[in-house]
Amino acid sequence: MDAAAAKLIGAGLAMIGTIGAGAGIGIVVNGAVQGMARNPDASGNVQVNMILGIAFAEAVAIYCLVVALLILFVF
Amino acid sequence: MNSNSKNRIFGIPNRYYVLLFLILLVLAQIFFPPVRPHVQLPAEPILHYPVFQGAVTGQFFWTNTLTAMVIADILLVLMALTVRRVVSKGEMVPKGITGAVEAILEMIHNLTETTAGKWTKAIFPFFATITLLVLVVNWMELIPGVDSIGFLEQPRPGELGFPIKPVTSNIYTLYQPKGAVQTIQAGDRYTLVPFVRVLSTDLNFTVALALISVVMTQVIGLRALGPSYLTKYFNVKTLFSRPIFGVIDFGVGLLEIISEFSKILSFSFRLFGNIFAGSVLLFVMGTLLPILQSPFLLLEFFVGLIQAVVFGMLTMVFMSLATIGHGDHEEGHAS
Repeated sequence: MDAAAAKLIGAGLAMIGTIGAGAGIGIVVNGAVQGMARNPDASGNVQVNMILGIAFAEAVAIYCLVVALLILFVF
Repeated sequence: MNSNSKNRIFGIPNRYYVLLFLILLVLAQIFFPPVRPHVQLPAEPILHYPVFQGAVTGQFFWTNTLTAMVIADILLVLMALTVRRVVSKGEMVPKGITGAVEAILEMIHNLTETTAGKWTKAIFPFFATITLLVLVVNWMELIPGVDSIGFLEQPRPGELGFPIKPVTSNIYTLYQPKGAVQTIQAGDRYTLVPFVRVLSTDLNFTVALALISVVMTQVIGLRALGPSYLTKYFNVKTLFSRPIFGVIDFGVGLLEIISEFSKILSFSFRLFGNIFAGSVLLFVMGTLLPILQSPFLLLEFFVGLIQAVVFGMLTMVFMSLATIGHGDHEEGHAS
């Protein structure tokens, strides 16, 4: 296997980590929507915290993306 | 009638401008089809000689992200001066950019007040500054010409480059040749070094912002709690009163130091990764579906907004957490 093929495979493997982030964002939004449906008055506050939670979960996916981009374009 | 006149520029309804730009987009796509640019992680220097040479900094090159920084700063200062002029006139109902800035700042201030309580005055400036700067910087990605107008240069090692053809007498464009790029001689292939590249795609900028955010969090914590803030990291309160658990508490405190460093990492890579991936997405979509790039521009509009707000909001949340005592007292500041 030459280095170019290994690079592509490695970048693809690095993106597996986004599974967790996807599941995490789903759980966060699930909880937030349920909360908002039960108490629509609190939706502003819930939304802010939901976006914070999504940002935290998404950070992990972004690490994977950065690793994949580094593999593809730097090394 | 009033609302009708607002939707016109030079007496022509706005929808005709949209149509005009759509036709221009199709024409530009037919005559100058876009090429897939080389994805470059570090910022490229536009000037080939160092601007200055320092003992510590080494050679300092003027990169294209630095140009973006200067433009963003100028935009922010102009915005501030405009708002100041309008506010000092004493109008109670601001219009245009002033109204927008007032709405943004009011939202940020209310958010800070509900979370930080009496430390709003100390924390609000960081939240507002970071959000506005990152917002302006991220939205520069959407301006046509950013990332696509620049100098033509010989391709860097490991890069193929593209042949060029003239648009006017001394402006050239890259194009995709009929056959493989390798069939063109190496000297006739060029690569583009843009004048302006989005600032958030430079790790130097995001790491700098993250360092400011995390270091100022410690400063605000020290101001709020005094020396007892340091017990968050070196927890000696229970070291002697509770023989074994005290040691565990001390170890947990040491772990907090590591978590501060991971905050720097996650802050910087979140902004960098989102915006860099967004600009790569725009490159690739511009090549694959040149006419249908517009929905992705809309997506990037929201990503830029959300990342700006998230960076500022996380800074604010960490700062307001730092002002609250670590122990079981002084709670109830958070909403």
